[in-house]
Amino acid sequence: MAEQLTLPEKPKSKLTLVKRIFIFIIIALIYIWTFTSIEIRWDNIFSERTLANIDRIIPKFFQPAVEETGSIMEKMFETLFIAYTGSLAAAIIAIPLAFLCASNMVRNKFLNNIGMWILGAVRAFPEIVLAIIFVAAVGPNPFAGVLAIAIGSTGMLGKLYSEVIESIDMNVIEALEASGANKLQILFYGIFPQVLPEFMSYAIYRFEIDVRASSVLGIVGAGGIGTLITFAYMNRNWEEVGMILLVIIITVTIIDQISGFIRKRLV
Amino acid sequence: MIEFNDVSLVYPNGTEGLKNINVKINEGEFVVIVGLSGAGKSTFIRSINRLVTPTSGSLIVNNEDILKANGKDLRKLRTKIGMIFQSYNLVKRSTVIKNVISGRLGYTGTLKSIMNLFSKEDKLLAYENLKRVNIEEKLYNRADELSGGQQQRVSIARVLTQQPKLILADEPVASLDPPTSHQVMKYLKQINREDKITTIVNLHFIDMAMEYADRIIGMRAGEVVFDGPASEVTEQTFEEIYGRSIRDEDRRGGLEDE
Repeated sequence: MAEQLTLPEKPKSKLTLVKRIFIFIIIALIYIWTFTSIEIRWDNIFSERTLANIDRIIPKFFQPAVEETGSIMEKMFETLFIAYTGSLAAAIIAIPLAFLCASNMVRNKFLNNIGMWILGAVRAFPEIVLAIIFVAAVGPNPFAGVLAIAIGSTGMLGKLYSEVIESIDMNVIEALEASGANKLQILFYGIFPQVLPEFMSYAIYRFEIDVRASSVLGIVGAGGIGTLITFAYMNRNWEEVGMILLVIIITVTIIDQISGFIRKRLV
Repeated sequence: MIEFNDVSLVYPNGTEGLKNINVKINEGEFVVIVGLSGAGKSTFIRSINRLVTPTSGSLIVNNEDILKANGKDLRKLRTKIGMIFQSYNLVKRSTVIKNVISGRLGYTGTLKSIMNLFSKEDKLLAYENLKRVNIEEKLYNRADELSGGQQQRVSIARVLTQQPKLILADEPVASLDPPTSHQVMKYLKQINREDKITTIVNLHFIDMAMEYADRIIGMRAGEVVFDGPASEVTEQTFEEIYGRSIRDEDRRGGLEDE
């Protein structure tokens, strides 16, 4: 009887084996090519000078400048505010774009593609590049950071939102239509209840990412804690850099925990 | 009164959903449409509230040719026609009461409904209708916490809240087990009797059709092949409608002891 319980043997094909070997060789070749074409000067990396520098700087990171906590926290809050305002704006701007992209809402391939194209174009810019553009446009202040975060997040949120919209139960929409509800009523009674929890979950997740992104925006002058990093680094004030990093790590961890907790309860 | 005059429907892909249908349904009747899947039952029922639009003929509902209605007129027409679906089609994340009150949307202004400002009468009406299908204690539960039979009862309450003149039910019991199926059909029958609401139900179970219908319309390949009072119907009739002998799966069974 025991024989009947064995699975039929998986068919072995010579072709798959050849394919795998072929892929393995290609990957190996790419590695060899990369390592031979970039010149790594190991003697430079492990020179006396590097080792001395590491010996001098790294310990200072572990003696953070606690006395600076006040001014650092102030900038950290500015960073959080930039991230919050920016992701809130993106969470709202993304909604109409997402509806434009969703093929079950706008039944026109051409318009869907325009929406996708806008979101794709926006997604192509890293926040730091957007920040440089907005610093040039509105001056070196936190508002430039807010704009950079808002535009940068819209691309991703719009794409995720439109996928949420495309996955809703359209039968519910049909039922409301059959009861004589108009388009706006269907939006508020049939569509929003189905999509809003997921929209919110994604927006919070994006806020998490934005806190990290806005920490570096100050480097190009767009406000937040990045400004302090630049100053401290230029003054070779490693104790302060250490303190800033510590504050960022703690804040980001706390935000991750909170957002994970909220997101779990939402869906 | 509903009157199909030479109604035909050809889908864009060339499938003929309905072929020259001539049927008259009187006020207050409980009609069951039977037929195999693909026979055009669903197309027939969906024509009456214009979820699909027949391509020729005329369809008179309450002295009005509904095939000409559009936009606002169509929505007004639909407020008077309730529809029940196989998959209940409730908003699963909303509460039961919110689902039921959405039956009033057609009567409520856009702005008011968006702000969730339903009149006290509407709210009471929704609650009364939940009582009628004995599910009022689930008022504030989320719809997805309910069983299939309970969800279908909520969808009946939603339809009642529309205060319809006509109820259409498209395979209302196909996803339910036998006892729950009978329960749902009994509620539909009771509402038909008490409120004099014309009711048209699609079914493919012959025993249920014979048990609950006043009148049975049989369909095959988009055509009406039988139309008569339920008392005249025998298994022989069903064999003619289905074009094959009756099998076990054509019966729901499980009728409770009276």
